[in-house]
Amino acid sequence: MPRVNCRKLGAQAFYRIITRWEQRAGFAPPVTAQNRSARLHLLAVTESGSNKGKKVANHLVALSSAAVMAVYAAGYTRTRAAADRLELQSAGRRPAMPEVPEKPGDASPVLEPAPGPTVATLPTLPKPAVRPPATPAEPADSAGTLPPPLPPPEPATMVAAPAPEPLAVAAPAAPAAAVATVWKDGTYTGWGTSRHGDIQASVVIEGGRIASATIAQCLTRYSCSVIEKLPPEVSVRQSPEVDYVSGATQSANAFYYAVVEALGKAK
Amino acid sequence: MKVSEVVMGTIVTIQVVRRRSKAVQAATDRAFGWFYEIEERCTRFDPQSELMQLCAQTGVPVVVSTMLFEALQFALMMAQESGGAFDPTVGRRMEANGFSREHRTGQIICTPVSPEADVSYLPDVSYLDIQLDPERRTVTLRRPLVLDLGAVAKGLAIDMAVRELAPFRDFAIDAGGDLYMGGSNPRGEPWQVGIAHPRRPGQLMDELRISNKAVCTSGHYERGPHIEDQRTGAVPNAPLVSAALPAVALLSATVVADGAMLADALATAAFVLGANEGLRLVRRMGAEGLMVATNLVRYETHGLRHAA
Repeated sequence: MPRVNCRKLGAQAFYRIITRWEQRAGFAPPVTAQNRSARLHLLAVTESGSNKGKKVANHLVALSSAAVMAVYAAGYTRTRAAADRLELQSAGRRPAMPEVPEKPGDASPVLEPAPGPTVATLPTLPKPAVRPPATPAEPADSAGTLPPPLPPPEPATMVAAPAPEPLAVAAPAAPAAAVATVWKDGTYTGWGTSRHGDIQASVVIEGGRIASATIAQCLTRYSCSVIEKLPPEVSVRQSPEVDYVSGATQSANAFYYAVVEALGKAK
Repeated sequence: MKVSEVVMGTIVTIQVVRRRSKAVQAATDRAFGWFYEIEERCTRFDPQSELMQLCAQTGVPVVVSTMLFEALQFALMMAQESGGAFDPTVGRRMEANGFSREHRTGQIICTPVSPEADVSYLPDVSYLDIQLDPERRTVTLRRPLVLDLGAVAKGLAIDMAVRELAPFRDFAIDAGGDLYMGGSNPRGEPWQVGIAHPRRPGQLMDELRISNKAVCTSGHYERGPHIEDQRTGAVPNAPLVSAALPAVALLSATVVADGAMLADALATAAFVLGANEGLRLVRRMGAEGLMVATNLVRYETHGLRHAA
C-alpha cells in the first residue's frame, strides 16, 4: 500500500497510483465493466470533493475505498470454501456452514490467523500476489466461472446439516478451550425477548459443543421479516412502504437470551 | 431472494432483487463468508482471534493480515480526523463497562492484559499508542491495550459483501440496522429506508430514498451505552468542553455515505462529538448526516434529501 497524500494529489494521479500499485503487486483485478465503474466511481468521489470547493477530507474517503479494494483483492479462505462447496453440490441446497477450526494444508498462508501466539518475526513478506483475486461471480449462471479452486476441496466441510429454513447459522467459532461446561447432545430451544419482539433460538449440541444455533422463530417487528410464518399481528411493520430500517438493533440481545435459555436446558 | 443469518452479534439480511439461482446463491454465500471471516479475525470476544492475538503483544512489531491492517489503518485515520473522538483503543474500557459478552455463548470474557493491567485504565491510552508500518504490514502497540474494531469491522464486512453482490446491481444488505442499498428496490424505485426513532421503539423518525449508498446509525438507545469517548472516559452524554460550539449531546447519529465502513465510523465519531462538531465532520467527509439531540431536536446536512 503506497503512502499517498491524496490531499495534494489530483484524483487522476491517485487513480493511476492505485492502479499501478495493484498491477505491480500482481493482483490487479481483471477489468470488468462493473469493476471499472467502481473505479470511476472512486474517481468521481475524489473529484467531486475537489470541485465543489468545500473542504472534503478526500484521503479518508479514498482510503476506505482503497482498503476495501485491498482486502477484497487479497481474498480469503472462506470465499473459496464456499465456491468449492457450490461446485461439489449439485443441489442448490444451502448447508449450514460448518465451522472448521483448522483447515489442514490450507493454501493461503498469508491470511491464516497465526495459530498460537503471533510471532513478531516476518518471513519474506508473502505478497498476496500468488492468489488470483476471487473474481466476483458474473451474473452468468455457471459454476465454471467461479474462482479457480486451488486445493482439492476438503470433504470435511461437507457436513451437510439439513437446513430447511434459510436462517441457518454457522456454528459459533466455538471458543472451546475456554468453555468448561459440556452440554448434552441434542436440540434445544429457548426464547429471547426484546422490545421489538421475541426470538426463538434452536441450538444443536453435538459432541458437547454447539454445532449450530438457528433462529427457529422470529417475532420481531422488522429486520427479520424473512420468515413467512410470522403471526400477522406481530409482523406488521410500521410503515409498509419502507424497505429497511436503519438504527441500532436489539434483536441480537434477544437471540443471546434465547440461546442462553436453550443452553440452560442442555446442561 | 432474501437470506438472514446471525453473525457479528446481530442479524444480517441480504436481499438480492432476483430469483434464486446458482449465481445469486453463490454470491450471497460469499458475501456472508466475508462476515464470518471478518468476525473471526476482528472479534474482541475470542482470545484466539487475530485481533486479540495482536493485543497480547506489546512493544514488538507484529505482522498482520491485509484485512486487519487495512481496518486498523482506516480506524487510525478516522481517529486522527476526528481528534480522537473515534478511537479503536476503547476495548478495555468497554470490557470494564460490561460489554464483554460473547453473543453466541453468553460467555463473559476478560482479556488478560498483564503484567501491569491497570495501565490500560489510564485515560491516556489512545490511538497514538498504535504504530503502523505499511511497508512491512506490521502493527506495534506501544502499551498494553485492547483494540475494539466494532465500529469498523461490520462496515468493512458490508463493503465486502457489496463487492460480491455488485454484479446483481439491485440488492440490499442489512447488518443489524447498518444498511447498504444497491440500485433499486423490487418496485424499481430507490430503496426506501426508515430511520428508527431513538425514543419510540418500533417507530420511524424519518424516511430516506437511498440508492448505492450506505446508511449507518449509532446510538445508545438499543444496546445500552456502548459507545465510549476515549478522551474523557465518559459515555458521551455530557457535553464536551473542547468543542468550539457548545456540544449538543445526541440520542442517535445517522450517516449516509458511499461505503459502509466510512458511514459506520463516521456515525460513531459524530455520536461522540455531538451535533455541531459531528455534522462538521460528516460534511468534511462529503457524507450526509442526520442527528437527533437528547431534546429530540434534529440536525441534518443540506444534501440529506438528495443523497440518493
